[in-house]
Amino acid sequence: MLTGFCALLHKDLTLERRGGRVVIELCVLSLLVLVVLVVAYGPETGGRPESAAGALWVALILSGLPGASLAVAAEHENDCLTGLRLSPLEPATIYAAKVAAVALSMAVSQAATLLLLVLFFNLQFDLNLLRLIPILLLGTLGLCALSTLLGTITSRLRAGEMLLALLTAPLYVPELIAGVKASAAVLSGASLAAVVLPLKILAACDLLFVVCGYLLFEYLAG
Amino acid sequence: MTTALVEALSLSVMFGLRPVLTEVNLKLERGRAAVITGANGAGKSTLVHALCGLIGLSAGQARMFGQDIRRLRADDRRRVGVTLHRSMLYLNLTARENLEFYAKLNACQKPSEQAARWLERLGLGAVAEQRARDLSRGMEQRLALARAMIGEPELVLFDEPFASLDRQGAAVVGELIQELLARGGAALLTSHEPLTVKGAEPENYQLVSGRLLPAAAQPSRRTAWRWMLT
Amino acid sequence: MRPSLGAAFAAAGCVLVPAALFMVFVYVPTEASQGIVQRIFYFHVPCAWVAFLGFGLSAVAGAFYLFFAQQVWDDIGYAAAEVGMLFCTLVLITGSLWAKPIWGTWWTWDSRLTTTFILWLLYAGYLLLRAMGEENEQVARLAAVVAIVAVLDIPLIVISVRLWRTIHPAVLVTRSGEHGLEDPRMLQTLAVSMLAISALSAWLFWLRLKTLRAKSRLFELRRMLATAQAIGDGAP
Ligand SMILES: Nc1ncnc2c1ncn2[C@@H]1O[C@H](COP(=O)(O)OP(=O)(O)OP(=O)(O)O)[C@@H](O)[C@H]1O
Ligand SMILES: [Mg+2]
Repeated sequence: MLTGFCALLHKDLTLERRGGRVVIELCVLSLLVLVVLVVAYGPETGGRPESAAGALWVALILSGLPGASLAVAAEHENDCLTGLRLSPLEPATIYAAKVAAVALSMAVSQAATLLLLVLFFNLQFDLNLLRLIPILLLGTLGLCALSTLLGTITSRLRAGEMLLALLTAPLYVPELIAGVKASAAVLSGASLAAVVLPLKILAACDLLFVVCGYLLFEYLAG
Repeated sequence: MTTALVEALSLSVMFGLRPVLTEVNLKLERGRAAVITGANGAGKSTLVHALCGLIGLSAGQARMFGQDIRRLRADDRRRVGVTLHRSMLYLNLTARENLEFYAKLNACQKPSEQAARWLERLGLGAVAEQRARDLSRGMEQRLALARAMIGEPELVLFDEPFASLDRQGAAVVGELIQELLARGGAALLTSHEPLTVKGAEPENYQLVSGRLLPAAAQPSRRTAWRWMLT
Repeated sequence: MRPSLGAAFAAAGCVLVPAALFMVFVYVPTEASQGIVQRIFYFHVPCAWVAFLGFGLSAVAGAFYLFFAQQVWDDIGYAAAEVGMLFCTLVLITGSLWAKPIWGTWWTWDSRLTTTFILWLLYAGYLLLRAMGEENEQVARLAAVVAIVAVLDIPLIVISVRLWRTIHPAVLVTRSGEHGLEDPRMLQTLAVSMLAISALSAWLFWLRLKTLRAKSRLFELRRMLATAQAIGDGAP
């Protein structure tokens, strides 16, 4: 099982290194979202940590959805998913590897987004930013787990992208709320206590999505 | 009693309201080969898909190694090699990387050696470092065959294995199948023209409007040239 | 499928709905602090109950569909989601009607309203998927997965929306606290309209399910016919 997982992940990273478009596309999307939001907020509201936290999560969700679609679509090209289904791999392993690959791509673009965020919203480069990392990672994992699960089918449908967004967004609401809260608390230098409940929600959602995906993926891949 | 390696029990497939396969019965035992011929659109590929469990059946059952295909264990899936119309190769990976990847999925002990061996076997040594996207059609077909064979399967299901292969390629595939049968494997091949397998007497079937019938006539010499060459 | 069960739901609805109307508009005393608008509450709460029930049933049916792969579970899930969606919409509408005179606004991002709205959005997505996706097994299975994940996600949505509200400054509304049902007639009325709306929704669900079953059965028959024809054609 582990060899299969590693092989899949290695394959996805090789493809990404070799002219893959996921990371680039995600970075560009994040950049666009940040620029648009900075302009839309204006200089006053834009300076508030809540605005920065909101912008960060808008960038995350808007880049995460197409990111997962791209990654899943790559598996449909040339019927490669059929090849995987014919192999001895368990569907759950395929799912886990796909989520890991998408999450890694997103994590790279998140790092770039964070950098831009600090510049655009006049934040301080300090240790507080490091505290954002676990929050963002949890949010990214949840989004990837969810959109990879649903994207497997929607990417074959006509209005797939729209349906994926429409199905994912409401399910992702808890993570979105908790993530924005936690990020805003961290950016405004609040105490750790303010982050505990949001982190719990993030973790619970991740657990739910990952477990559901792990158990249910086989019904969708078939 | 020997269990059939692959078996179809009144297998029927419908796409929407269209019956594509009706009550197909097929049984393939160790050391046997079956050749299924049929016109374009007769349902040959659909039969291969159904036998592999890739599409739902409207009735009947597909079995491999005595188990229902939907409950085939991972260990047993390793014993099957399949090629379909699409090559299932990652277009941005090189030929070698593709084979190594599928070797790893099949839990081969030494994936890179195995990949090198199969590249050599199918005459792909010269293009090993080319991306699958840049391969010629025949080269891609060879690579797809190598992909199917890399797990050392006991049972192969090849959908039109000779499509776009040159004589030499067809000869190699003929040898592969012969070796497979000799070591007690089984092969199911589809083709739109009759074939003979050298060194074996394949069971010849014909797909006519969704029904699997014994092939009427022996293949003529003219169309059997490929396999005779080996 | 026994038609008697559907008829029983219909009969119960025919008796209970007028009874509930009578009780809500005539029998029950007007609540002191909110006045006449409070009466909508006797429809609002049962609708919410039915909406949640429909969603729950749709998720359970989804799980059964995935596990047993029988068309009937898919039909049940679809019918339940449709009925759930209908009553969820009614919850939002009646809630809005009530909120305008009491809170002074049609809509506020109150935690309960927001939760209901997100739920509504979830099932809007679900139904759109069924409407826009091709009618095949894969879409049905995806719908089942969505229903299952959604129902498991609901507790988290509730918790997170509460978190979202508490930190934001409160909107200036006169939130009247708990609905005190001090008069016993109020409880009786609520109980009867609960039953009435339940019977009504069960009947709607039944009708919808029957339609879907008939459709599935028709499709099945047409397939059998096509198969029989194919076999007949093949025979000498
Ligand atoms: N996914 C599908 N949906 C609907 N119809 C399909 C689907 N796949 C195949 N068909 C139909 O089923 C019939 C059999 O197709 P199939 O691909 O099995 O034919 P074939 O014998 O392999 O033909 P060829 O020699 O051209 O490869 C065709 O008429 C085709 O249109
Ligand atoms: Mg074909």
